[in-house]
Amino acid sequence: MNHIEPFQVQTLAAVLFALGIAVVLARRNLFLLLMGVELMLNAVNLSFLGFSRTFAGEASIAGQLTPVFIIAIAASEACVGLAMVICIFRGRDTLDSDAYADMKE
Amino acid sequence: MLHSLDIYLGPAYFWLFAGIAVLCGLGLLLARHPLNGAIYLIGVMVSLSGIYALLDSPFLAVLQVLVYAGAIMMLVVFVIMVLNQAKDHQIPFFDWFSLVSLALPVALGAALVGAVGERTPVAAGAVRGEVATMAATMFDFSRAGPGYYLLFELIGVLLLAAVVGALVLAKRNLDSPPPEIPAEEHH
Repeated sequence: MNHIEPFQVQTLAAVLFALGIAVVLARRNLFLLLMGVELMLNAVNLSFLGFSRTFAGEASIAGQLTPVFIIAIAASEACVGLAMVICIFRGRDTLDSDAYADMKE
Repeated sequence: MLHSLDIYLGPAYFWLFAGIAVLCGLGLLLARHPLNGAIYLIGVMVSLSGIYALLDSPFLAVLQVLVYAGAIMMLVVFVIMVLNQAKDHQIPFFDWFSLVSLALPVALGAALVGAVGERTPVAAGAVRGEVATMAATMFDFSRAGPGYYLLFELIGVLLLAAVVGALVLAKRNLDSPPPEIPAEEHH
């Protein structure tokens, strides 16, 4: 039994989540946007795992099973997201998300 | 013999991995090229895998390396390489608007770290996430069981839908003519 306190894990998860939001908000490259979302999903996984250790028995296993589903959803999100990047890259030939600002109409 | 050192080694490894993860996250934020960002993100994922192993969850640690660092990031790096022919090689960096928008994550991160205040201890009965334990819970088909296998089936359907959707999105035109069959040569 090692002695890593849950609040240390949650602090790290919060810092990583904030970094992911910063990447999504501040960068303009489509790939970096997608990778920021992946970073946020990773932080949520870490948070689930950190909280799963504060429960006993069934709840502890449930906290460790949820990241499995999150990882599968992240895989499908990356798959569809990258296909969309390829799709819109064809028309405009740029990866700058500001170039697609007219898509909101 | 060495188990007496666990009190010190566990937190030491945790802070080592946490430092690597945060530094690589900052590298992703400041990356010059998406490929550099992808390498930094792989660094985050591998160090998080180490943290998962330290947190008594070896199954998730292996899954993190296999699926995240292996499959998903390989896909991202591959697509970055395919689309590297963009006309503008200018990678947009921070402008004034994005610098203003950095205030939100900083505030949110500070609020989250501040909210962590309550020190919940590790429960005595926390289960170590071995493969056998996780599989026994996930594929518990009994009527009184938690029913994770239904979620598992749904994830399978979701992955299939994602693959088909990606194919439809990325294919240039769906009704492409069938490949020409070369005429048979008569001798």
